Amino acid sequence: MLGKLMKYEIRATGRIFLPLYGLILLSAAILRGFMAANEKANNLFTMPINITGTIYFLLIAAVFVMTLVVMIQRFQKNLLSDEGYLSFTLPVKTHSHIDAKMLVTLIWIILSVLVIILSVFILAVNQNVILSFEKSYLPFSDWFTSQSWLFVEYIVLFLVGSLSITLHIYASMAVGNLCPKHRLLAAFGAFLGFGVIEQIVATFMAIWRVTSLDDTADLSIVILFAGVFGVAYYFFTDWVLSKKLNLE
Amino acid sequence: MESAVECHNLTKVFPGCIALNSINLAIPKGQIVGLLGPNGSGKTTFIKLLNGLLTPTSGQILINGMKPCIETKKNVSYLPERTYLNDWMAVHDIIDLFCDFYADFNKAKAYDMLQRLGIDPRNRLKTMSKGTKEKVQLILVMSREAELYVLDEPIGGVDPATRDYILNTIISNYSENATLLISTHLIADVEKILDGVIFINQGSIVLSATVDEIREKENKSVDALFREVFKC
Repeated sequence: MLGKLMKYEIRATGRIFLPLYGLILLSAAILRGFMAANEKANNLFTMPINITGTIYFLLIAAVFVMTLVVMIQRFQKNLLSDEGYLSFTLPVKTHSHIDAKMLVTLIWIILSVLVIILSVFILAVNQNVILSFEKSYLPFSDWFTSQSWLFVEYIVLFLVGSLSITLHIYASMAVGNLCPKHRLLAAFGAFLGFGVIEQIVATFMAIWRVTSLDDTADLSIVILFAGVFGVAYYFFTDWVLSKKLNLE
Repeated sequence: MESAVECHNLTKVFPGCIALNSINLAIPKGQIVGLLGPNGSGKTTFIKLLNGLLTPTSGQILINGMKPCIETKKNVSYLPERTYLNDWMAVHDIIDLFCDFYADFNKAKAYDMLQRLGIDPRNRLKTMSKGTKEKVQLILVMSREAELYVLDEPIGGVDPATRDYILNTIISNYSENATLLISTHLIADVEKILDGVIFINQGSIVLSATVDEIREKENKSVDALFREVFKC
């Protein structure tokens, strides 16, 4: 059932992200074209470059904003508003809804990063860049072999951190559902409140053991920190949605 | 007789209001039962508890002997009193969604009913009027071969001609084993299809009887009795 939920979740969100990705790649390609033309045509294309460049950066900003907006909107609309009447009467477990939503959010976060990297490649890759890659490949592979664990940790931190933030927001919206009269205020207050709790715990952790990010052992503590909070948010959200649901 | 729905001291309290006050009730299988009451009497709360959209404060509600869970949701076809479909999907996409999640969904039946009501399955819900959306929802709900249908205000927003079609649809899609619970305040319209009625007011059951009993004992129609019981 998780697969089916994810299928419909991807459909509902893909219609926003896929066109956006297309536009980013297209604007990067156009920008690249103008820049190439500009070199040959004696700065004739400065204006189009400025315009396309601005559009390109606005689109990248839009991807970040939309990831957040869609994450919030899907949870609110599909689970906590009218559509919740259908979602919660489908024969699936409550946690499957949370699973589907957070995993699809993670998929879009990852894809957004990849699309942005790809667009930078479209913009910047030429012979010189490729050559410099070749030059830096050996030192990089040396670094990678010696620091591969750190690299893996950064990836894990990125994934766990993304899920943890997503669940932090879900848990806040779940609190909003508990206060029918002031949903938005309660959700916003809960978001800040959970943040304060995280900060307090982090402060105590810093007192007991100084954390610095360039040490591998400490990075795993950061992962653990995000993971523990993520799990707590997950179970809290599941508890609210299964036991305390109160649709408008 | 076996019960489709049973309540034991079912209570639901919201902050500052008792929505349902220790209800005891049994709805027998295979009947069409009207859940009748004025606005704010607890009809929708009862129906939400039945569908697991709310959890009881105390007491319990059982469907086929089970508390609301995945198993009961497989067998309960629920029409809420509001539009619960998103507006960007086309009707045929939503039919696929129902097919995906409900094993008892009869696709052919759904398309047949759409055609008879002149609704194009390629249309998005965004482009439809409120009444048409309600028709689509009713078609989806009645195209399931469920054991229990729970319809919350199924005819509220549609014109009288369609109302008749909908009531016919409900009756013709109703098999002997299935139970139908209809909540409404348009009593005169549904009276002719009801086997039994439950009068509910301020969170308590006022009356639970078969329509025949009411006609024999009170010598009145359900509509007339309702007007008498709930006189303002």
